[in-house]
Amino acid sequence: MIEKKTAKDIIFSILPVVSIAFLFALWVYVSGKNPDFFPTPAMTIERLNDLIKFPVSRISVFGHIWASLQRVLIAFGIAIITGISLGLAMGWNKYVHAFLGPIFEILRPIPPIAWIPLVILWFGVGEFPKILLVFIGSFIPIVLNTFTGVKMVEPIYLNVGKVMKASTLLKLMHIVLPASVPAIFAGLKAALSSGWMVVVAAEMIASRSGVGFLITRGSESYDIALILCGMIIIGIVGAVLSVILTYVERWLCPWRAEQK
Amino acid sequence: MNNENDVKVQVRNLTKHFGDLKVLEDVSFDIKKGEFVCIVGPTGCGKTTFLNLLTKLIEPTSGKILIDGEPADPEKHNLAFVFQEPSAFPWLTAEENIGFGLDIKKADEKYKKSQVDKIISLLGLEKFRKAYPHEMSVSMEQRVVIGRAFAMNPDLLLMDEPYGQMDIKVRYYLEDEVIKLWKEIGSTVLFITHNLEEAVYLAERVLVLSQKPATIKAEFKVDLPRPRSFSDPEFIRIRKEITDMIRWW
Amino acid sequence: MESRAKIKLSLKNISKSFYSRKETFEAINNVSIDVYDNEFLVLLGPGQCGKTVLLNIIAGLETPTQGEVKVEGQKNDGASSDVGLVFQKTAIFPWKTVIENVEFGPLAKGVPKSERRDKARYFIELVGLKGFENAYPHQLSGGMKQRVGIARAYCNDPEVLLMDEPFGALDAQTRYQMEDEVLRIWEKEKRTVIFVTNNIEEAVYLGDRIVLLSSCPAKVKEIYTPDLPRPRDYVDALFLELREKISNNTDLAL
Repeated sequence: MIEKKTAKDIIFSILPVVSIAFLFALWVYVSGKNPDFFPTPAMTIERLNDLIKFPVSRISVFGHIWASLQRVLIAFGIAIITGISLGLAMGWNKYVHAFLGPIFEILRPIPPIAWIPLVILWFGVGEFPKILLVFIGSFIPIVLNTFTGVKMVEPIYLNVGKVMKASTLLKLMHIVLPASVPAIFAGLKAALSSGWMVVVAAEMIASRSGVGFLITRGSESYDIALILCGMIIIGIVGAVLSVILTYVERWLCPWRAEQK
Repeated sequence: MNNENDVKVQVRNLTKHFGDLKVLEDVSFDIKKGEFVCIVGPTGCGKTTFLNLLTKLIEPTSGKILIDGEPADPEKHNLAFVFQEPSAFPWLTAEENIGFGLDIKKADEKYKKSQVDKIISLLGLEKFRKAYPHEMSVSMEQRVVIGRAFAMNPDLLLMDEPYGQMDIKVRYYLEDEVIKLWKEIGSTVLFITHNLEEAVYLAERVLVLSQKPATIKAEFKVDLPRPRSFSDPEFIRIRKEITDMIRWW
Repeated sequence: MESRAKIKLSLKNISKSFYSRKETFEAINNVSIDVYDNEFLVLLGPGQCGKTVLLNIIAGLETPTQGEVKVEGQKNDGASSDVGLVFQKTAIFPWKTVIENVEFGPLAKGVPKSERRDKARYFIELVGLKGFENAYPHQLSGGMKQRVGIARAYCNDPEVLLMDEPFGALDAQTRYQMEDEVLRIWEKEKRTVIFVTNNIEEAVYLGDRIVLLSSCPAKVKEIYTPDLPRPRDYVDALFLELREKISNNTDLAL
C-alpha cells in the first residue's frame, strides 16, 4: 500500500518536467526542419545574447523593458488610487452605484485593445496615449473587483462597527477596506495582466521603444529570432510582475497566513 | 440486545504518526454485530484523524481495521457516514436522498422502495418525501442524511457529532430517533462525540480516548434501559466517572 | 430582593415582524422583560428565530415594529447608550490583532492610543489571554476567539453586555470551560448581562434568572429563578430537576 503511494508521488512530480521537456523537444524538431521560419533554441539564445550586447533602434534591451514598465507602472499607480476609491464609493453608497454602475457595465465588455485606434487618433503616438490605454485597461477591473469586495463584506463585521458607533470613515478604513483586500488584489492581478497586454499591443502599433516595439522591429526586418526573444522577455517580465504582486499581498496581509 | 456474539469490526493496534507528531498510538477495540458504541475523548485528542482512518480517507502508519475478518474496504464493505454538517444532495428530494445508497449498490427496486418507505415512516417525514434540502430546516436535513445512512443497511455506520449545533430539545428528539432507527434496522453503529451526556444516553458501550497520542483509556458498559433519563442516579454516576476521566477544563 | 433591585433595562411590549412581498413573518410577539442591574439574565429558546432578533433590537441594530427599549428609564433606540455585543459566529476582525480588536470600541470613540491600549490590555488579561495581544485570530482556537469577543465587548464600556449564543459553535467540553470562564469574568467585572442560548443545561448553569421563550413568534413562556449557589453542579439533584422542568416546557422546533 505504501509503495504504491510513492510511485504515484514520483510520477506526479515528474509530469511538469516531462511536459516542458516535450515542448522543448518539439521546438528543436520543428525549428530544425524550418530554421528560416522558426529559429532553433540555439539561434534564439544567440539572438538574445546579441540583444543584450547591442541596442535596437539606439536603445538597449533593458531600455526597452524599462520603457514598457514605466508606462505600465505610472498608469497602474493612478488606476490603483482612483480605482479603489471609486470601487469603495460604489460599493458603499447605493446612489453612486446607481449612477456610475451602468457606465461600467457598458464599458466592461469592450476589450482595452479596442481602444487603441481611437486613443492614437485622438492623442497621437507619444507617451500619454500609451499610459492612458494602460490606465483604461487596469482601471475597470480594479473598480469592479473592489466593488464586489465591498459588497461581499460579511454583514456581521459591519454590525460590530454599528454597535461600536464607528463613523463611516472608520468603518471604511478599518472594516470595509481590510475585508475587501482579497477581492481588491484579485482585481489588481487582473488589471496588471490586462495593462501589460495593452502596452505591448500599443507599442506594436505605434511606438519607437518598448518590448512590443521589439516584436514589430523583428517583424519588419524579418528577424524572427528577435520576435521570439521579445515574446520571451514579455512573458518573463509579466510573470515577475505577477509574482511581485503576490508577495506584496502576502506582506500586506499577515492575517491570511493560513493560506500558505 | 444483540443475540449474536460475533464480532463485526476489529480495530487492531491502529497507529498514526504525521512525521514526528504522534496522533494515535496503538488503538485496539472490537465492535459486536449490531452494537451501538460511542467514542469520546478530550478536545483535540485526534478524533478527526481517527475518523479519517476509519473512513479510509488516509492510511494508518501501522495497525489494521477488519470488518467481518477482512481488511476494511469501501468497495467490498458497506460503510456509511454521517458528518457534522448535513450532506444531503441538494439536487435530490428527501426520498431520493434516502434511497441513494441503495441506488449505488444497485439494490433491487422493490427492496429499495420498501426500505425507503420504512425509513420515511420511522422518521415521520411523509409530508416531506418530495421536498428538496433547501426547503428543509437543518435538523430535518440531517435526519434525511441519517435516514440515508441507515437505509443502506451498512456493515458499519459512523457518525461524527451529527447534532453538534442544534438546540437541546431537538437534540434529545433526534437522539431518540436514531435509537429507534438503530433498533429497527439493527446496524452496527460507531458514534463519535465530545458530548459526554449524549454518549451515555446513546451507547451500549462507551470507549474513552486519552489525549494525544491517543489510545483507548477506558471502556464503560452502559446497561441502562431505554429511554434513558439524564437524572437517573446510575446515569449520573457513569457520566460523572467519564467526565472526571476526561476533564481538562 | 428583587423589588429593591434597580432595573437596568426594560423591554416593553416588543414586537417584530418582517415584511416581504409574499408574506409577513412574525419573529417576536409582545415581549416584555425587566432586566435588573448587574444580573446575569439568560434568554432561552428553541431554534434560531426570535432570540437573536430580540438581542439585535436591544443593541440598536434593528428597530421593533412595536414597543420600546428603555435603559435606566430613558428610551433607547440604540443611538444613546453603549452596548457590548458578543456574537454567535466569531465576529472578531481577522485582519486585526487581538489588541487591535479589543480596542476597537475606544478607537471608534476617539480615545487616544496609549489610553485605549492600556484599557485593552486590562481586558485581555481579564479574559485570560495575556501574552496573546499581538496574535492574529487565525492563530487562536475557537474558545480563545470568543474570549477576544468578550474582551472587546467589555472594552466598549457597555451599559449592558449582550451575548448571542457565544458558545454555540464550540464543542461540548470547550463549552463547559467557557461557561466557567464567562462567570469568572463576570464576577470580577460585574455588568448587566443578557445571554442568549438554546442549551438548557447552559442556561441553568449560568443564569440568575432564565427567561424561557417560545418558538416563533417568540413570547415569554415563563421565567425561572435557579436558587442554586455558585459554582453550580451539572449533576446536582436540584439542578437536574430544574433542567427537567424547563425541558418539559420547551417547544420542539424541528
